[in-house]
Amino acid sequence: MAAEVLARSLAEPAVLAADVKLPDIDYLAIAPMLVLFGAACVGVLAAAFVPQRLRYRVQVSLVIGALLVALGLIVTVARAGRAVATAGGAIAIDGPALFLQGSVAVLGVVAVLLIAERSLERGGAFVSRASLTPGSAADRDQAEQPGATEVYPLVSFALAGMMLFVSANDLLTLFVALEVFSLPLYLLCGLARRRRLLSQESAVKYFLLGAFSSAFFLYGVALLYGFAGATGLGALRKAVQAGDGNTTLLFLGLAMLAVGLLFKVAAVPFHVWTPDVYQGAPTPITALMAACTKVAAFGALLRVFTVAFPVGAVDWRPVLVAIAIATMLVGAVLAVTQTDIKRLLAYSSIANAGYVLTGVLALSAAGVAGSLFYLVAYGFVVLAAFGVVTLVRDADGEATHLSRWAGLGRRSPLVAGVFTFLMMAFAGIPLTSGFTSKFAVFSAALGSGQVTLVVVGVLSSAVLAFPYLRVVVLMYLSEPAEDTPTVSLPGTLTAAALAIGVLATALLGVAPAPVLDLAAKAVQFVS
Amino acid sequence: MILAQTVAAAGPALDAAPALAAAGDVSVGEQVVFWILAPVALGGAIGMVAARNAVHSALFLVTTMFALAVFYVLQAGPFIGMVQIIVYTGAIMMLFLFVLMLVGREASDSLIETLRGQRMAAIGLGIGFALLVASALTRGLGAVSAQGLEEANRGGNVEGIAAVLFTRYIFAFEVTSALLITAAVGAMVLAHVERPKGMKVSQKERSRARFAEGSYPGMKAGPGVFATSDSVATPALLPDGGESDRSISRVVPARGLTSAEAAPKHTER
Repeated sequence: MAAEVLARSLAEPAVLAADVKLPDIDYLAIAPMLVLFGAACVGVLAAAFVPQRLRYRVQVSLVIGALLVALGLIVTVARAGRAVATAGGAIAIDGPALFLQGSVAVLGVVAVLLIAERSLERGGAFVSRASLTPGSAADRDQAEQPGATEVYPLVSFALAGMMLFVSANDLLTLFVALEVFSLPLYLLCGLARRRRLLSQESAVKYFLLGAFSSAFFLYGVALLYGFAGATGLGALRKAVQAGDGNTTLLFLGLAMLAVGLLFKVAAVPFHVWTPDVYQGAPTPITALMAACTKVAAFGALLRVFTVAFPVGAVDWRPVLVAIAIATMLVGAVLAVTQTDIKRLLAYSSIANAGYVLTGVLALSAAGVAGSLFYLVAYGFVVLAAFGVVTLVRDADGEATHLSRWAGLGRRSPLVAGVFTFLMMAFAGIPLTSGFTSKFAVFSAALGSGQVTLVVVGVLSSAVLAFPYLRVVVLMYLSEPAEDTPTVSLPGTLTAAALAIGVLATALLGVAPAPVLDLAAKAVQFVS
Repeated sequence: MILAQTVAAAGPALDAAPALAAAGDVSVGEQVVFWILAPVALGGAIGMVAARNAVHSALFLVTTMFALAVFYVLQAGPFIGMVQIIVYTGAIMMLFLFVLMLVGREASDSLIETLRGQRMAAIGLGIGFALLVASALTRGLGAVSAQGLEEANRGGNVEGIAAVLFTRYIFAFEVTSALLITAAVGAMVLAHVERPKGMKVSQKERSRARFAEGSYPGMKAGPGVFATSDSVATPALLPDGGESDRSISRVVPARGLTSAEAAPKHTER
């Protein structure tokens, strides 16, 4: 009987070749991503075929070159003013997508500058051979060897995945993009040269929890597909607005999708991985995650919630408002109790996720523009802040415990001054980008009547100013101890990254208008 | 008896090919298969987590995957069912088992709870969450009948999947390759030990070095041989009667002895 069935199914007329046609693909619109994916593949080949002594230079120039080309292409596409959903509607290249892709590219260049630094420590921040058991004799022998250059293709893959994540217009594409940018990050977290066990623990923790959240995300996608019969965000919107579907599937699916996205933005209660991972990961990678991953995750969150789930049809606001409030408060309060500078910055990044959520919850053009601006401004500050963290070192590597920073202001006034400026930007003092960005999201939220959110936001900002200022006080008013670490002279790359970060922070604080205008113009989603 | 019923019930379903299950209604055969295999799948999943031995875990997972594959076939998705068996169960899990066997299969994970009561809390919350989702879905889907299955499978299951994969999801499909490259690079980075040149010494090179000029191929004389002193600082005598300084441990002079104590003790001839 089985053979009979087989014969019959072979005799069935197959789908005609003419029915299956490759959808139109706007190659210029997706060229930035293609360039980065291509550069990553070339980087993998380079890791295999380029002689050892040239690899570092080839890889670094490849990544930075590809990012700059991608940035140029993004500007070209944006100038042409196109807003299209291409590749069968799977990718939407519109205002927010282009703005966020541009931000990922720019912040990515700065992060790569930090990642490529090799003068602070012999061989750079990454371990040479990650397979060696930490603490073994072979591991001690590799202390002086140059770090693994596979880091650079992995970073390219991660950045390309982030660019896809902010432009995916289809839940399945969104999921694939999520995995494409997460997997390299899991790997990169485990490649620190110093404190390797801590680094590996952070990688495993991030991987397990990330896989768990991906499963939630995927289950949500499946349920939403059951609800709408489609995975495209536009089709989903239509089904939500029609309102005649199975609402159980809709609510369950939406909740699980939100868990997956909120995990990536590190919102409370899906934030517990953040401090451990930020602390254990190599500091340049922490900077990359704090800046670029946040941009990507919020980009997708904005798109999914604005395009697919209009508030008029399904009101998810109360839940997200509660999450935003919890995120701001927990992040701010726990930041006060931290004694490690990397953990402090991690909790501050959690609180900042709450502020961006405030902008998202304004549900207005001003809110979207404010969130976009906030993400860029915060990205520059946090990159520069982690850049400073890489400079404060002693014989064991970076000295991240806060007590070790006492009296740093007397030993190296310039670095302490830079860090003070960045802390002020975090705290939202006027004339820094922190003030303008907070103002942008809070005023948008106020304009939409989200008074509670703004009150909580301002209060938690006040709480959060305390740990920042405590670091400043510690640096200037404490006596330098015998074991106060030295501040290494930054190499060219770190110096460039710091200069870009500080300049951008100052410029966005003093003259934010061009970027604000750009963000205000880039609020229209297509689907 | 049940078997006969199953076959009898499966008969008409097969006759209604190409779709193995008619949309909307669930045949008796499908129900029987489901209720037999669902506990197997669930048991496999629980066993995979609970088993202490990694190999047992892997085999439990194989069981679950097989059961799921049968479900896929039963729900008119023969392609995905076969792919599940061939790719997951056949290729990936067997590779996994090979690696386990090669690396060593001792259970080395410690079951110490770092947070007290975490496991019980996790189990309780997990069961609660599962019950919540399951009850919501049961309530929500009780009256729903599946739609569109026949239409999706009209031109054949494989053709239907291909048509979707290479049109609407073409970009996602292509980008998955980035995922695979990342995984391969990650495996290399985390597991591959590249010995730098010069660390690898072949048997031939070792043998050459042993008989090279200036080295001593035979057994080295122990300290105190033919000695009148039993000090470890007493050098051995070579066949020509000279003293071999190699027979004294390098540590001896470094022990903080006085130079008289550390000086080689001569053997009277």
